[in-house]
Amino acid sequence: MCLGLFTGSVDKLTAAGIIISGAAALDMRVDIYVLLQGARAFKKEIGDDASKLQMAENPALKEEFMESLKNLKVKTWVEFFREAKEITDVKIHICGLAGKIWGGEKIDDFIDLADDICGIGAYLSSAEEADVNLFI
Amino acid sequence: MTAEELKGLTVAKSVDARGTACPGPLLEAKKAIGLIMPGEVMEVLSADEGTKVDIPKWCTKQGHEYLGTLEGSGYYRIFLKKS
Repeated sequence: MCLGLFTGSVDKLTAAGIIISGAAALDMRVDIYVLLQGARAFKKEIGDDASKLQMAENPALKEEFMESLKNLKVKTWVEFFREAKEITDVKIHICGLAGKIWGGEKIDDFIDLADDICGIGAYLSSAEEADVNLFI
Repeated sequence: MTAEELKGLTVAKSVDARGTACPGPLLEAKKAIGLIMPGEVMEVLSADEGTKVDIPKWCTKQGHEYLGTLEGSGYYRIFLKKS
């Protein structure tokens, strides 16, 4: 699977976390390219701090959404990504330009889940080879 | 398998995923399958409706044998045999 992760919103990141968990359960190899808004969420000072993340849809329902996740004992998006990485081959690449937009210059500026910084060529090469392509 | 046959199975590993929401039960099954031998039976306990469909499909994909599902009080017992 090749996942183009554009979003930096808590609802879509949670969805992405669940999807790659499903991929992990199926022993899929997952290549994630973190683009634009996503790079912000991967910054060390953001991560799964929900107070620093917005909703992509129904922003007025954020409190209800977060409360429901807590009641249903749903993991945070970072926890989903971390668990998927432990179970199967998941590589997370931060788009260099996207990182710079949010003040991230080197890999240490991002949470430890990120493997490297890459360019658009890497994303498209991976997308060309993948059997499943997603863009969230 | 019939309900009676399922109840009579010797279960090598019981995975209690009733406290977790999707994709929890599937991930717990994935982690636990490595702990049993081929030919052994595993049961997954889940209160999540989706697990009833997820586990059989996962079995097909991974090559394990889905044996059947029993309904408990507010949860499901899903049986499979590792290939």
